[in-house]
Amino acid sequence: MRKFRHLPAALVALALLVAAGCSSNSGGGGGGTSKPLVVGASLPLSGDFSQPGEASRRGYAIWQDMVNKNGGLLKRQVQLKIVDDASDQNTVVSDYNRLISQDKVDLLLGSFSSLLNIPASAVAEKAGMTYVCPSCGSPDMFNRKFKHIFFAQPATAVHQADLFAQYVAGLPTEERPKTAAYPTQDDPFTKPVVEGVKSKLEAAGIKTVYSKVYPADTSNFDTIASDIKAAKPDVLVQGAVFEDGVGLVRSLVKAGFSPKAMFQTSAPSNGDQYSKGVGVANTEGVFYAVSWSPAAKYPLNQEFLQAYQAKFKGVPEEDAADGFAAAQVLQAAVQAVGSLDQDKISDWLHNNKVQTILGPLSWDERGAPQQAFILAQWQSGAAQVVLPQDVATSQKIVFPKPNWGGQ
Amino acid sequence: MKLAQTVLLGLLTGGVYALLASGLTLVFGVMRIINVAQGALLILAALFTFEIWRRTGLDPLLAIVVTTPLMFGIGWLLYRGLLARVRAAPEAMTVLLTFALAIAIEGIMGLVWRNVFRSVTPSYFASSFHVGGLFLPKGLAAGCLTAAVVLGLLYLALTRTWTGRAIRASAENMQGAQLVGVRVVDVAALTFAIGIATTGAGGSILSILQPFFPASHYVWISKLLGIIVLGGMGSLPGAVIGALLLGVAENVTSAYVSPRWSLVVFYVVIMVVLLVRPQGIAGSRLREDVVA
Repeated sequence: MRKFRHLPAALVALALLVAAGCSSNSGGGGGGTSKPLVVGASLPLSGDFSQPGEASRRGYAIWQDMVNKNGGLLKRQVQLKIVDDASDQNTVVSDYNRLISQDKVDLLLGSFSSLLNIPASAVAEKAGMTYVCPSCGSPDMFNRKFKHIFFAQPATAVHQADLFAQYVAGLPTEERPKTAAYPTQDDPFTKPVVEGVKSKLEAAGIKTVYSKVYPADTSNFDTIASDIKAAKPDVLVQGAVFEDGVGLVRSLVKAGFSPKAMFQTSAPSNGDQYSKGVGVANTEGVFYAVSWSPAAKYPLNQEFLQAYQAKFKGVPEEDAADGFAAAQVLQAAVQAVGSLDQDKISDWLHNNKVQTILGPLSWDERGAPQQAFILAQWQSGAAQVVLPQDVATSQKIVFPKPNWGGQ
Repeated sequence: MKLAQTVLLGLLTGGVYALLASGLTLVFGVMRIINVAQGALLILAALFTFEIWRRTGLDPLLAIVVTTPLMFGIGWLLYRGLLARVRAAPEAMTVLLTFALAIAIEGIMGLVWRNVFRSVTPSYFASSFHVGGLFLPKGLAAGCLTAAVVLGLLYLALTRTWTGRAIRASAENMQGAQLVGVRVVDVAALTFAIGIATTGAGGSILSILQPFFPASHYVWISKLLGIIVLGGMGSLPGAVIGALLLGVAENVTSAYVSPRWSLVVFYVVIMVVLLVRPQGIAGSRLREDVVA
């Protein structure tokens, strides 16, 4: 008899589990008869990418709330099933295998970073499931001829700064810059952007007078600035992550050289960390490209901002907006197809344009997006969207850039 | 002209590097402690400067009179609380302990000041003196001058005061110093505290030269270790020579070859020097077998 003294407790526990299982099956759905539609994703909620991973999760969560408030997807409530891959490539693969084969989720959303999305998307492709990822801009993502992957941002790295290149190349001949300099950090997210601009400006006849790569831990930009000063470029395009962007501006001010136009990849998108770093007066006229802007007048963008503010407080990170947009893409395709047929969903995405808070998105046959990032510019101490015109928050573009200090 | 500008910038940068490396080499010379946390303490001092500057508007270079005693106190407490316990342990233990300390300090800085970049920008942070076609960044010049003053004071204290002599005696021969009546344990605590106090001035200068955040210390500790290995571990003049060499090598390579090669060249110089002079430029060869 001693053997069975835990039996009553075990039975109670079993009963509770069954009850919990039943309630979770019937709960959630407004109608009661339809099961919730489960969207599975694995995100780096711990480890190296935990900060952007958490931001992506928030973007997904805001989308879930908004969809469910509006009656769900295919008349079913949406339930997110998000697991943590600890920023690890092996874990992300086993996560998506489990989501697909054991949890049998209805739809998939991607992970954060190309590093994790490259192996994870192979799992989805093998299972024939549509895979929309919020951040997977590496060229390696698109050279595998996959049919079911979609990168839900406006452009891959090479095309991020297209609007800037077009703007400069399109200036009237007498104003158009004649020379350009291209310093860039040795970084997979900045180098392709700078190379993209360089090839377009060279094609427009703008001569390259300086083009050098500096390592990630460069802390002193005085010599680089003095070199650039000697080359006297009209346009300066820097592949800057953050400190290097601030460092070069400071050194250019010290060296007393101000180009006619200046573009930096991501450094100027860091709000007041950037303006405090270089001095607000020195930000005037600096261009940068972003996938999303809180100010852009795209449909649902303001609703997204408000919902985020209500749920998480503060202004959303770019990664949260990218996560939300990825979910919007999936939602649009499922609604248009009217079923969960993954082949049809992928086909539809290959042939249609989707409105998102990042702007309209469409894809080529490899799943690479075909638009350009928003072009933003610092004007009078604030970041403004200047192109494309229909969503611009400022009607003017500062050109030529005034001297440092705004004079 | 280009060469003059490049070398000038290199020497100014090197002067600041010298101050940053001085505490590290002093502590190693006296105590055989490789203080991996030196970089983290440097960033901590920079954050203190930031806090003082943000709250009171005090010039960051004047903030040195606050940050130096503050860092001295922190150094003394760290030695008494932690490092004194591994005094008899092998040198590798001190590396482990100070590495753990560096990570702990980084974590605390992240909690208190968050993981965002901070910048200290007094009116002169991005302006220069222009002399005959050359430019001389004001922040860098002021930083280099301050570094020279602090280093000069440190050198005088080490060579002209009894405490300084006791420190040097302990560095050269610990048992001998003990025999003539130097209280080596107290001298060690004092030296460690002085070594950390140099980060007070260093951090304040660094804060106006570039933006920084808690994890910035990794870049600095690797540079500083390189400098003192090149100059001769434990030698103060060696640290100055090593630092000026790094400053000039970085800038000249960056201007004439490519910024990409600037650090590589510095480490190649270290390798060549160590092949010819294993004790570094100004280091002295010790009979480790009998001293131990």
